Amino acid sequence: MNALILSAVLGVIMMFSGVMLKQKSAVRNIAITGLFLLLVVNILEMSGMSFFRINTAGMMHFDRFSLLFNCIVFFSTFVYLLLSARDIEKTGNYYAEYFTLIFFILCGVILVSSFQSLLILFLGIEIISIPLYILTGSDKKNLKSNEASLKYFLLGAFSTGLMLMGIALIYGSVGSFSTAQINMTEKPGALMIAGMILLLFSMSFKVSAAPFHFWTPDVYDGAPTVFTSFMATIVKVAAFIAFIRLFGEAFGNLQPQWQIWIALITAATLFIGNITAVFQQSVKRMLAYSSIAQAGFMLLSLYAMNADAKEGLLLYSAAYSLATIGIFAVLIKMNDYTFDGFNGLAKYQPLLAATTTIFLLSLAGIPLTAGFISKFYMLKAAVATGRHLWLVIFAVLMAAVSVYYYFRVIQAMYFKEGQPGIITTSPVFKYTLVVLAALIIILGIFPNLLLNWYYF
Amino acid sequence: MNVTQILFWFLSVLALFGALMVVTSKNPVHSVLWLIATFFSISGHYILLNAQFLAIVNIIVYAGAIMVLFLFVIMLMNLNKTTEPKKNRWLKLAGGVAGGCLLLVFIAALKSSEITQQTAEVKTGDIGLIKNLGRELFSTYVVPFEISSILFLSAMVGAVVIGKKE
Amino acid sequence: MIYLLQGNLSVSDSGSYLPVAIQVLFVVGLIALLIFLTHILGPKRKTADKLQSFASGIESHGDARQPMAIKYFLTAILFVLFDVEVIFFYPYAVIFKELGWNGFLAVLMFVGFFLCGFIYILKKGALKWED
Repeated sequence: MNALILSAVLGVIMMFSGVMLKQKSAVRNIAITGLFLLLVVNILEMSGMSFFRINTAGMMHFDRFSLLFNCIVFFSTFVYLLLSARDIEKTGNYYAEYFTLIFFILCGVILVSSFQSLLILFLGIEIISIPLYILTGSDKKNLKSNEASLKYFLLGAFSTGLMLMGIALIYGSVGSFSTAQINMTEKPGALMIAGMILLLFSMSFKVSAAPFHFWTPDVYDGAPTVFTSFMATIVKVAAFIAFIRLFGEAFGNLQPQWQIWIALITAATLFIGNITAVFQQSVKRMLAYSSIAQAGFMLLSLYAMNADAKEGLLLYSAAYSLATIGIFAVLIKMNDYTFDGFNGLAKYQPLLAATTTIFLLSLAGIPLTAGFISKFYMLKAAVATGRHLWLVIFAVLMAAVSVYYYFRVIQAMYFKEGQPGIITTSPVFKYTLVVLAALIIILGIFPNLLLNWYYF
Repeated sequence: MNVTQILFWFLSVLALFGALMVVTSKNPVHSVLWLIATFFSISGHYILLNAQFLAIVNIIVYAGAIMVLFLFVIMLMNLNKTTEPKKNRWLKLAGGVAGGCLLLVFIAALKSSEITQQTAEVKTGDIGLIKNLGRELFSTYVVPFEISSILFLSAMVGAVVIGKKE
Repeated sequence: MIYLLQGNLSVSDSGSYLPVAIQVLFVVGLIALLIFLTHILGPKRKTADKLQSFASGIESHGDARQPMAIKYFLTAILFVLFDVEVIFFYPYAVIFKELGWNGFLAVLMFVGFFLCGFIYILKKGALKWED
């Protein structure tokens, strides 16, 4: 609750900072400080210091899982702002508004990570989506950005409509929005199953799982690269947390009914994401498909839905978000987004190349990185269910495929000759990248540094 | 069949017919007008369910304000020639089949659920009356109510970011 | 007549909407009648000039579907937002005494957020017509 109220207030402050302050750097510093405060306040709430006592009538519950997840999200956003805040300002004239919308999105993330009522879930998803449509189209002069925004809006609105229809059907059969009440239904009727399937579809859309992924490459490619970075990481893991909470808490007793569907969606997502990523020529588009592929891995936690899966999802969201934010931060600095644009980067920018290599290795799941350990947790959770072993084998196979396209970037940076052009980076940018890379390795060796927080 | 039932069937047929016309009309302005007709018939349903406030809000906000926005969007799109691209026939067929399947699933789900025995509270229910609605909104649902203001704020900021000339 | 207006509001059946129905019928009927009568009674001269659509006296040209400025849309969308806000006041106004200070604070917070948005819009000049 601390973080929710603070992030709403920070959003309002950012709104006015754009009007009052003329200096871009002041606005940026307020945003970064605000995000740091948000992180601190959330950690305080984890250690039992809640500043507000608000009776939510059982609609929200801030447990350790959601609070720790929020910590990960705030930290990732903090890093994201440190790396890319200057690039956010370059997108257009409304630089303060972009930060405002990011804070409002964080409000939505807090809602979807702690909802206990489908009403809050819906509000959270909407609060995440509407600012995102705007951020996608914020590069107003660029036709591709406009197209991406419109496409995202129409498809997103449609999937939200499906979600509302599902919620309505469930309310019709249960008579309550509360997830606990829904889970307690004995003998769920066909109406409730239909509602659940609609919710499954719309959530799959939000996390860009396979048959519902068609919007992802175009939207991620068309949106300004800074905001693609935000969408592909923080928003995506937030949608996953909503997904796992919804299906764990509201439909936990129906697991035998939906498990096979999730297994099929997972397999399709892994297949389409990885195979299509292989054929991409642009690194930005490759990362869009890679985000679909990684979503396939995160879906494994939903499929398993046990203690390992929850731990794994926390680790996975940290590992995936941090690494992808890092890669995007470097990508924004490049002049050429194709693979050839990375040619010879190691010669001119050894530091950028080295850190990017670590991020890519983590995404590919090479041992000693956070990506490996989080993939390991996911597979462990999936094996523990004892069913559908083919899915685990398939996931490993697809992870092997993913190595190909991640290594193409590394190969371009180290083993090809080229002139990547002049890239100017600030010292803060470089230090943050190094810290980020170090964090990914530390998390890969000692995952308990993060997971201990879940229990103590 | 008493008056209420006759009204119910009349409004249902009107709503369904209006909704079908929204989809099938060639002229987008006609679609909007049919949508308004649909909203009015749904408002009629709300009144039958004794939810007068919702009925009026539905007319003011949806049939009034939001439909004006729809019209603006249609005007913005500059559809003065028949620039409508030809839709793929197979795509249409696939859409029809998919939508039909969904309809079948819904009908099957409705038939098999217990609520077919319960009739809507047409005459006695007072849950939709404004007083009860307000009591619920400002006590049980006060947190979502406050949170919705964030949604409004982000919509305002978004309108300025997208719509304002730089 | 007074009896008709005193329908029991808390328990409604279709009978209690009889006054409304009569009114609606009367309004629609009157308008239909007026339109019909003007067609019958008015003089008609069907020449090509008369049948042209009226465009303030100048010769009509082009199509009615002209792309229009986005500022109309911006104003309209802001109107909808505040329209929805005002609608929330109505249920509050009906039972504000019963809700006491808690309800007042809830509404105050809601309005506070909206006021922030309103000031922001004014400062940004989103409602300025000429630019």
